[in-house]
Amino acid sequence: MLIERAALCQELPALEDIPPQALCELLAALGFPVDALEERDGALILDVDITPNRGDAMSHRGLARDLAAKLMVELLPMPDPRVDEGVEPLIPVLLDNPACSIYATAVLELGPAQFTPEDIQAFLRSMGSTPKNLAPVDASNELLHRYGQPTHAFDADRLVGGIIVRWARAGECLVTLDGIERKLDAQDLVIADESGPVALAGVMGGEATKVTEATRRVLLESASFDAKTIRLTARRHNLHTDASHRFGRGADPAMAKPGRDLLLRRIENWAGAKVEGVWSAGRLHERTATVVLPKDLLQRIGGEALSLAEASERLQRLGCRVGTEPGLLHVTPPTWRHDLAIPEDLAEEVLRLRGYDRIPTALPPLEGPPLPLSPDYLHARRTATRLAHQGFHQTVTFGFTGATEDGPATSTPTEGRTLGNPLGLEFAVMRGSLLPSLKSAALANLRQGVGQAKLFEIAPVYASAPAGPQETRTLCAVWGGTVGGRDPYSPARPVSEADLRGIALDLGAPPDQVRIRDLGEGLFGFEIAMTCLPATPDRIIPAFRPFSRFPAVERDLSLMVEVDANYPSLKQAMADRLNPLAGSSLRDLRCVDVFRHKSLPAGKQAWLMRLGFQHSDRTLTGEEVDSWMAAALEAARSQGAELRG
Amino acid sequence: MESSLLPSGIAEAHAAFPGALEACGDLDSLLRLKGAYIGREASHAARLMQILKDAPKEQKRDLGAEINALKNQWEEGLKARQAVLEAQKKSRSAAGVGLDPDLPPPMPGRGSLNPLVRLMDRLVDVFRPLGFHVEEGPEVETEEHNFDGLNIPADHSARGSSDTFYFDRHPDLLLRTHTSPVQVRTLKRVAPHLEQMGGVRFLAPGRVYRKDEIDPTHSPMFHQVEGLLIGHGIGMHHLKGSLAYAMRALFGAGTSVRFRPSYFPFVEPGCEMDVRCPLCGGQGCRVCKGSGWVEILGAGLVHPNVLRFAGIDPAVWSGFAFGMGIERIAMMVSQTPDLRLFFENDQRFLGAMGGLD
Repeated sequence: MLIERAALCQELPALEDIPPQALCELLAALGFPVDALEERDGALILDVDITPNRGDAMSHRGLARDLAAKLMVELLPMPDPRVDEGVEPLIPVLLDNPACSIYATAVLELGPAQFTPEDIQAFLRSMGSTPKNLAPVDASNELLHRYGQPTHAFDADRLVGGIIVRWARAGECLVTLDGIERKLDAQDLVIADESGPVALAGVMGGEATKVTEATRRVLLESASFDAKTIRLTARRHNLHTDASHRFGRGADPAMAKPGRDLLLRRIENWAGAKVEGVWSAGRLHERTATVVLPKDLLQRIGGEALSLAEASERLQRLGCRVGTEPGLLHVTPPTWRHDLAIPEDLAEEVLRLRGYDRIPTALPPLEGPPLPLSPDYLHARRTATRLAHQGFHQTVTFGFTGATEDGPATSTPTEGRTLGNPLGLEFAVMRGSLLPSLKSAALANLRQGVGQAKLFEIAPVYASAPAGPQETRTLCAVWGGTVGGRDPYSPARPVSEADLRGIALDLGAPPDQVRIRDLGEGLFGFEIAMTCLPATPDRIIPAFRPFSRFPAVERDLSLMVEVDANYPSLKQAMADRLNPLAGSSLRDLRCVDVFRHKSLPAGKQAWLMRLGFQHSDRTLTGEEVDSWMAAALEAARSQGAELRG
Repeated sequence: MESSLLPSGIAEAHAAFPGALEACGDLDSLLRLKGAYIGREASHAARLMQILKDAPKEQKRDLGAEINALKNQWEEGLKARQAVLEAQKKSRSAAGVGLDPDLPPPMPGRGSLNPLVRLMDRLVDVFRPLGFHVEEGPEVETEEHNFDGLNIPADHSARGSSDTFYFDRHPDLLLRTHTSPVQVRTLKRVAPHLEQMGGVRFLAPGRVYRKDEIDPTHSPMFHQVEGLLIGHGIGMHHLKGSLAYAMRALFGAGTSVRFRPSYFPFVEPGCEMDVRCPLCGGQGCRVCKGSGWVEILGAGLVHPNVLRFAGIDPAVWSGFAFGMGIERIAMMVSQTPDLRLFFENDQRFLGAMGGLD
């Protein structure tokens, strides 16, 4: 909200001695941070941030009121241009809806010439609006910024019959001041005459009844509208105006009549207008609810022995009426502070006016033992650290993706995990797999010329279920490009599927659950639910398991097999044969080298199988190892392998 | 070899082994050396086996262990030398020749933890000494947890479909717009046990979603860390003390902070915390927009309605809560000019901004 420093000083002259930067600090300390400070045409203008609970502060008068309370000085009194209302309404005004409690109005006949004073025009320009040189319009605008009361002037000669404030009816339309035809909703509050709606109450007037140079007579409106109704209408029509901001955050209902009076006097002065009639409908509902502020609550929140006397003084400076009783205050907030509803609100006001910087600091005492960090959190954190140490970079990608991207990567339907209001089709589906996201990040990196793309992410994937999308925290890793080739010791070679399988198995993933996907362009990836990876063991140091101190024997067996031979079944056959013979002495059985060369018979390859033996409580003899090797070879032969000469 | 059980010849042979190994210039000479030390016949090893066989029964155990140790060393040495000689034979590259310490050595690949994740984990570490643990919740949430339980009015604009993502088949479900629903979930869960637990205090780090178009300062998905502490007699002084400690732990002992009144529906009183601009030290710069302060987080005392919703009596319990935007802080401390960089996942960015701890 824009605030002109000079206009602020007109409400509170004490501010004149405060330099602009200090004024900004002061406002920030009151909860109104200043986003920008700029000088325009000699006026110093502040862009002040007002929180949505403080409709009362959305004017120069409103901010000055808080500043005066903070500085413990007096505001200049409001001008009081009390206008006497006539006995009979000139035209009937019917309030057919509780969302409008009071509607103050008047009809004036404009004089032959009208002007807007130079200083008011300058003020309006400071507020970012263009003076129209139409007294009713400029005056209404000025009042809004100065006192926070939105008002409106209709061209009275264009109104048909009486005024009624009511819900809009189905099918009704209104062309608003911005020239847009709006289809009204039955929940929209409108000002209507006998021909239909003439204004969207509290939001914007209608085009047909607006004040122009040709206008001779005006009907004024200064009312109080229900905040929620105005908010909803503004949102429904995506029509956020200065008026709707103020009514929507709660304008002071007691300002309806003074607002009308101020507007009337300005039009009299600026347009030589003659008053034809002044009246109002409805009445101001006096707020009587008091809020009790107990001393112990104030002191608990404030963290020190604050006195009720000080609290009472502060609250009275905000316009509250305060009654005292031992140990507590009875507080009646002013009409403009609808936000003061519970004792905590009052405690905040006391602390706010004292300054949050004066609140002491302390650490909260520990009342019970701290809880341990959850295993799931630690698991994810340790897994991430481990992968980072293995050269992987942790990504952060969006949880949603496009159906065309996600569909092929997942088996569950995208129905049920699709957003109703996505940012776009490419962000419409909560992803069922992390692979498409990481693939696209990895390919982008490879295209940028990194030697190898090596990425991982731990994030939820979503599956459709009757109750809604179910989340499974999942690890995904992708790896592609070239390893090595960056020093004389490490020859360059393409990343292989096996490299990534090694990473997965190293994390403890069960081999039968590791599915390495070929993502194309030399890129491989896998994903696995975090629950499938072994969790951190409960014991810091596991139970001792004895190990053998007797010599280990390693023997190699070079086997010639078909190029499409099945390694797991060969290995299994050899292990099955050895287990009854060697038992736990068989410590290792694996292929350590593959040899493919034209010197081998066509369709053949050589696997170098390495077998490790070690007995737990004696030295193995050469004879027994020889016999096991023979058995292993025999088992391999049963699978179609032969000994390579 | 200190043992008196072995003949002196063996000790001498063992002492000579490293030199002999180094002297082998090719595989043939290595094979001869292998024969002499561990060959089946007439080798040192064969002699040792004979000695073992002839040894008195009570010596056999110790002697056997010693002999094994010797044999193992020889075998390993021979194997290693063989690998070197084979590599040399295979190629005349540096790998074979090796040993020029000035050549670039093979370096282990260096990855990185994401800077956003690191910052969240660091916050967990910072709050751990105050007794905070970690609570996590789902990203797909209900209006009850995301709004109702947080005292957010039914007509609040944040609930609108222009601010919040909703699911088409499940209009009652949404993507959480902050990590605060974890407050609601956790408070409801611990409410019956609060007295025996002595209150509760936790952080809730995680990803959140808001319907913002992607631009240099907005992203439809970002990260937050929420903090909550419930105890007896908790006031603004506790909030100030805890957060001031945390900011000094995070940004350095000299960090100064200030608290300003603010408004969030789920706290009362509410505040925002600024830290002295870490870039200019308070002189005024682009990052702090000349004010010398940068906003770090929103906080306040937990609103009584939030406690009531979870089944906790606000007359007995009170607490404070805070929430911070991780990207915001990450951008500020690193002076990263564009938020989108954090979601591009360029390895150059990740490697430079992330770390391993």
